[in-house]
Formats: sequence, C-alpha cells, structure tokens
Amino acid sequence: MADTLTVHRAGLATVQDLGRFGRSRYGLPVNGALDQHSARVANVLCGNDEGAPLIEITALDFSCTPSTDVLMAVTGAPADLTVDGVARPQWEPVSVRSGQTIRITGIRVGIRVYLAVLGSVDAPWLQGSCAPDTILGFGRALRDGDEVGLRTHCPPIDHPHFRIPLFRLHAPVRRFHAAWTIDVTDGPDRTEFGDTAERLFRSPYTVSPQSNHIGLRLRGDVPRRVATGEVLSRGVPVGAVEVPAGDELLVLHRGRGVTAGYPVLAVVTATGLSALGQAGPGQAVRFRHRTIAEAVTAYRSQRNAVNALKARVRSAFEALRIPVPLSP
Amino acid sequence: MPETGGMPETDSGVVIVDCGDSAVMARAMGSDAEHNWRLVHTLADAIDSVRLDGVHGIVPTYDALLVEFDCAGTDQHTVRRVLRHEADRLGKGPLHTATARHFVVPVVYGGEHGPDLPVVAEQLGITEQEVVELHSGSDLTVRCLGAPAGAPMMDGPAFPGPVPRLASPRTRVLPGSIAVAGRQAVICPMPSPGGWPLLGRTPLRVLDFAADPMTPYRPGDTFRFQPITPDQWDDHAGLSLAVSHG
Repeated sequence: MADTLTVHRAGLATVQDLGRFGRSRYGLPVNGALDQHSARVANVLCGNDEGAPLIEITALDFSCTPSTDVLMAVTGAPADLTVDGVARPQWEPVSVRSGQTIRITGIRVGIRVYLAVLGSVDAPWLQGSCAPDTILGFGRALRDGDEVGLRTHCPPIDHPHFRIPLFRLHAPVRRFHAAWTIDVTDGPDRTEFGDTAERLFRSPYTVSPQSNHIGLRLRGDVPRRVATGEVLSRGVPVGAVEVPAGDELLVLHRGRGVTAGYPVLAVVTATGLSALGQAGPGQAVRFRHRTIAEAVTAYRSQRNAVNALKARVRSAFEALRIPVPLSP
Repeated sequence: MPETGGMPETDSGVVIVDCGDSAVMARAMGSDAEHNWRLVHTLADAIDSVRLDGVHGIVPTYDALLVEFDCAGTDQHTVRRVLRHEADRLGKGPLHTATARHFVVPVVYGGEHGPDLPVVAEQLGITEQEVVELHSGSDLTVRCLGAPAGAPMMDGPAFPGPVPRLASPRTRVLPGSIAVAGRQAVICPMPSPGGWPLLGRTPLRVLDFAADPMTPYRPGDTFRFQPITPDQWDDHAGLSLAVSHG
C-alpha cells in the first residue's frame, strides 16, 4: 500500500504547482500558486524542486495525517500550525511522524498557506502541470476524507522529547500587512487615461469579495479612460490593471484569459503579484509606482534569496543525512 | 540603451512596448490588417523556434504579439533585441504561410442552442434564415486562439453590420456554443461566462485533452459551419472536432 496523506478537513485546498508554462499560445493561462514566493520557499525548505506539486490552502482551516514519517514545510499567511496539538513553526522544515495530525487553523492577515512535503505529493497532470484550471475543469480540489499519495518518506529527525529546533534556515519570510503596498509599472496604454491615471496612486483600494485567481476586483477612486474607440483583442500580461466598467479596477492574476480587449493602465510587478496573491476580501491595497529596472531588481533579489536558501537547505540536509529527493 | 514604451518602429513596421517587468508586446503598425496578422504570427513562430531562455509564453493575436518571460532568467533588453532582430529579418523577405486546414463544423442554429438568433437577426435587419445562411455560407478564418480555453477567434461572416454584445453577459455559456460579436465569430470550447450573442451550438467536442496542444486548429485554418437539425445532434454528439477536417 502506497503511503498517503489523509485529509480530514479540506476547507479550500488544492494540489498546486508554479503553473502551466508555455501554453498561452494555445489559449491556456499559466495559473499556478498565487503567492509564488511562498510556494517556492515551502518546496525549497523540503529539499524539493521549486515547482514540485504542493498543497495550496486558501483561508479555511485544514488538517491531515500522513501514513508514514514525513518532513514538511508550511509557508504563506500567518496561521496556527500544530502537529498532534504541539505548536510548530512556519517557514522551517518540520518532521511529522506517521499517524500524527497536522492542523493549520486561524489563517490571518493573508489568505494563502502552502504545505509542501519532502518528495512531493501525487498530482493529476495536464499539459505539463498539475495547476488547477477552472475553465478547463481541471485540477484536484481536496475534499474531506481524500487521500493524497506521498512519493517518499523521511525518517524522523527532530528530538523526540525536547523539541530542540533542528533547523534555523532563515527562510526569506514574506511580510504580511493588513494594508498591502503593491508595486506596478506603467502599462502600455497609460496615456489613454490622461490625467486620471494618477488616481491609481492617490488613495487606497479595497479588495472586493468577487476576487479570485482569475483577477482581483478593487473598489475605490478609479481612473477613467479618456480615449475612445475599440481595442482589438490581444494578449494581456498577468498583472494587467484594467478599468472595464463601473467603479472597480480589475487586476488580472495567473488564471486570466490570455486575450482581452481593454486598455492596460498599469502592470503589477512580479513581486507585487505574489503579494497580491495574499490580499483577501476587505483588505486595503495601495499601489506604488516603480520603474521596470526597480521591479526587476526587486524580483531578482527575492529569487536570489530563495536560491541562497536552497544552498543552506542542502548543507543542513547533508549534515542531518536527510535523503534529498531527485527531481522528477 | 534601455528602451521605454512607444519607441520608433523597426524597418518592418513593428513597435515594441513594455508590458510590465515580465512581458513585452510587439505591435505591427502597417495599414494592411492581413499583413499585420501574418507578420505577428510569423514573428511568434520565429520567437518560438529561437527558444530563448526564460521566455515562457507567447500570444500572437491580430496585430500584436505578447511575449512573457521570467525576468530573473532574462530581461527586457534581451527579449526586445531578439524580437527586433527577427522582425527586421522578416520585414525583408516574404512571410511564411503555414498550410491551412479546413474544418467542417455541424451546428444546430436557433432554439435552445442559439437563443440570441432572433435578436441578432432583428439588430442586423435581416431574417433568422439569412443570418444562418451568411454564417454558414462562407469559410471563416481562424485569426488567433484566445480566451477562454483556446477558443478559435474568427473573422465574422459578411453580416450587414457589427453585432452588439449582450447588455448583460451570461454567467455560463455551454461548450460548443457558436457566438458572434462585432465583426468576429467564435466557438466556446468550455463552459464559461460570456457576453457574445449565441447563434447555435455544435455537438462536437472542441478540445482534445489527451493531445498537446489540446486545440486541433491553428491560426490560418478555416471553419465552415454546416446547419443540422436538432434531431441530427446525436449523430455528432461527442465526436472530436479534430476529425472534422478535410
């Protein structure tokens, strides 16, 4: 019998990865973890490939039990993480014994938590990725009682009695705020909004409950298009800030349709998109203008921090003789 | 030198603009729509075959090509330089034309399958029968694969005028629905929200989940819609669009 993770309480959880790359030419959005940074770090902390399948938990409580000893890492929004009732840290590897219960409750400030397991989990596959695509009706949304296949196990490695932390890996922890500052660069159609474009930076917006992986709707003082005329359908980047109608901004996220016919006022940066993946309904979002050079520097520094963590994990795992899984 | 949005055209009439830190867009600025379309799709093929590190998505449409990349793995300047080089190269010679395939797509028009047929006829000032005849009377060219789910975006039939979008979009359009809007026509491959008026529905399965890509058609292919009666639905139900060409 293969080893599994038995899900007791699924809430809103899916098996996820970094996305379905290279298929936008065929009309498929990239999808994948909305907070890419937290997802990458969770995998790296387990010695996995950054893009290995992991569990994305949105807003609601989650619990599960592995049928074998595992090493896991939980990142993303602050939450209460316990193993058999004992509080354990996020953003560090945590050893879990066969039969113990992992609980993630009280997700706060952000809305997405990532749970990765050393060796990763089994996942359905479509066009090179397990990322759910709601338009295709593809993906694995977990339900109470589900069993998720585990690809490998990991002997227990923390002290059985004293709970001395074995790991101090100093993962690059995302900062969480009740009010988000999201970096954007100028969009290709900024001039179509004339002087009203500046409104984007003047006052905060509120995340509407109709927000999801396709896009976030934000209420506030929206810029107005002053140009007229039809915009021919064309490719829109993830992160595009549009003003379709009414009093809402639409910020496209990873599940967005690849083409659209609205002018693009601004584009959220790569680091901004990961942060926006944590913004929940009712939270405030303030936009900050960045040049492309500044945006690229910020993103590279975030990725470099993950790469540096990778090296620390490798050394720690070698010292503790933890078998690192081979990339699939 | 770094470039910013709205830079001068290349020799080939292509302008490259930034679309955030992880994408750029090449726009064909010529006056001939057909040439612009051919240019951006040929440019897309060229970028695809270069296999540039870090580039993970390209979206060619009518007159624009969006190129998406990981800005930790490459950068604006590299992608722009390659785009410019390829665009200039293409600008000098004749544009390559892929062999077009032809798909015949059975459609039940009107009724529950095409609830907006009467209103479209009224808006266009012609009869429902004339709408069907125009829609099924000529080959329609696929211009690009778009949202949702790789839908084939076609030049619309020779209607007397553009077709207005629905005032209130539907929250769910059935797969196989045949829709028109403006001067465009489309088949909706998967259930999704939609604001385009529906003329009919095909019983064919549009996408093939086991194939890569899942879309059997390519830009440049042509579709001919063939009216069938509701009781012929079952003869085609569940068959793949992929086998309907020839």
